[in-house]
Amino acid sequence: MTLMTIQSLEKRFGGLRAVDGASMDVHEGELLGLIGPNGSGKTTLLNMLSGHLKADGGAIQLDGQEILGLGPTRLTRLGILRMFQMTRVFNRVSAFDNLVVCGLALGMKEPQAYARATELLEELALAHVMYLDAGQLSGGQRKLLEFGACFMVPPRIALLDEPFAAVHPVMKEIMSDFIRRRNSAGQTFVLVSHDMPVIVDLCPRSVCMNAGKVLAEGKTQDVLQSTAVIEAYLGEDATQEDLHA
Amino acid sequence: MPARPHPNLHTSKLRSEFLLSLAILGALAMVPLLVQSNYWLGVLIVSMYFAMMACGWNLLAGYAGQFSLAPAAFAMLGGYSTGLLAYHLDAPLWIGLPMSIIMPGLVGLVLGRIVLRLSGAYLALTTLSFAEIIRLVIYNSIDFTRGDQGLNVPALYDGRIGNYYIFLGVLTLIVGLIYWLLRLPLGRFLQAIRDDEIGAASRGIDVLRYKTIAFIISCAICGFAGGLYGTFARLVSPELGLIAQTGLVIAMVVIGGMGTLAGPLIGAMLVYTASEFLRDVGGIQMIVFAALVIIFARFFREGLWGLLRRVAVRRAASKGTP
Repeated sequence: MTLMTIQSLEKRFGGLRAVDGASMDVHEGELLGLIGPNGSGKTTLLNMLSGHLKADGGAIQLDGQEILGLGPTRLTRLGILRMFQMTRVFNRVSAFDNLVVCGLALGMKEPQAYARATELLEELALAHVMYLDAGQLSGGQRKLLEFGACFMVPPRIALLDEPFAAVHPVMKEIMSDFIRRRNSAGQTFVLVSHDMPVIVDLCPRSVCMNAGKVLAEGKTQDVLQSTAVIEAYLGEDATQEDLHA
Repeated sequence: MPARPHPNLHTSKLRSEFLLSLAILGALAMVPLLVQSNYWLGVLIVSMYFAMMACGWNLLAGYAGQFSLAPAAFAMLGGYSTGLLAYHLDAPLWIGLPMSIIMPGLVGLVLGRIVLRLSGAYLALTTLSFAEIIRLVIYNSIDFTRGDQGLNVPALYDGRIGNYYIFLGVLTLIVGLIYWLLRLPLGRFLQAIRDDEIGAASRGIDVLRYKTIAFIISCAICGFAGGLYGTFARLVSPELGLIAQTGLVIAMVVIGGMGTLAGPLIGAMLVYTASEFLRDVGGIQMIVFAALVIIFARFFREGLWGLLRRVAVRRAASKGTP
């Protein structure tokens, strides 16, 4: 069943068409990989889906309802949660309070938010730093914290922009396991990553973008074997082995 | 509840700051037993007026991260709300004083909806422009406001001691109100907005709404401080809204501890009392405070209260307790 429909989405920055008529569907309970070379429009697309950028044209529907033009607060309350490529946490409050505030903003009561935050910090192996200010955490811990903040209240759809970038392999594994567990329980994800082994491992289906357009869509293995995708990433003479190298 | 209470958790931090604030206010309640000088009681009353403004401004700048340069202008607005009603309509203080809360609050609502879409230097400059415009309008509307002659305001109470305890009571209520507000989800939302507006919006916090709420409350507190000050000085004049007054409020909050409950109290009492000691040396007092603000902003971001807290946490850690 289709959860989110994106139709002919457009975004221009001056003369540059950052997203140029991109269309795709996100199905309920799926883990969709969104890949493409740098500058292909993945983050711009995510920014429009999460309400941080206004689209110049097209349509976005969640559960059949038009949501184009709604701001980030409204979309978050509708269940579209976003993790940013450049980590966004609240630096001058503790890791624990970082999660609590997210729960309260989505309508949780304090005791419920406390219990959920404690549970999440334990699940993400951050319990030992729960009393430290987020600004005192390492880059990887801050990423994990922001990741956890998306799940204080289970979202309808989690948009994860490069969650594994510059993260220690142990933390990467913690995050991957978390995603797998939640996905098998029915959670829907859109995962943007340049980490091809992780995309292959986690995402049964992927969409590849290039120059703002959807270049290929389908089973991840098929997308990665597509000549157009390999050329977009590595140039005309490249092979599939080069892409995985 | 979290596994165990910890001094760095929001609620524990607030509670310890509130208890320290109550201790400071308790100590202030004892002062008239030791100090009989009308002059020094007057200095402390004016310190408490500044402490009210500092608490109001700190809610907005320290907790919500919105750097307004208009707290003194809102105090002036509050003072004139009471003063104009008394002057033109002979309105008693039981009408005039509540109006010193309502009018600045309403102006704050309108101004906030416009300027709080801006941030950083743009917000500071816009509020500074507003502050100067409103001061000049009052200064030049001689027929209505009597310009630089100011307006006479009826006294709430005649004696120094009585006024001292009225100011102390109101300051305690303001500290209590801010503590209560910060204990609500609003307190955490404001801190999230201060640290990262985009991040806060992405977690479901209505950024503009909560910034506006903080702005209105801050303006209303500063306004009431101005109204009350008018009843003590029995005069309000455009000098209440001078930018130098705002500078003093900022110095108090930065030195005492921005974004803390007790910091503005500590800062206001120290800075204003010190400025009285330095009065004889003239303009040097502003140089001293400006230098202190630079030093605190650069090296001790949480001000004097932050320094005290750091020492306490270190001591607790060395004793092996959390």
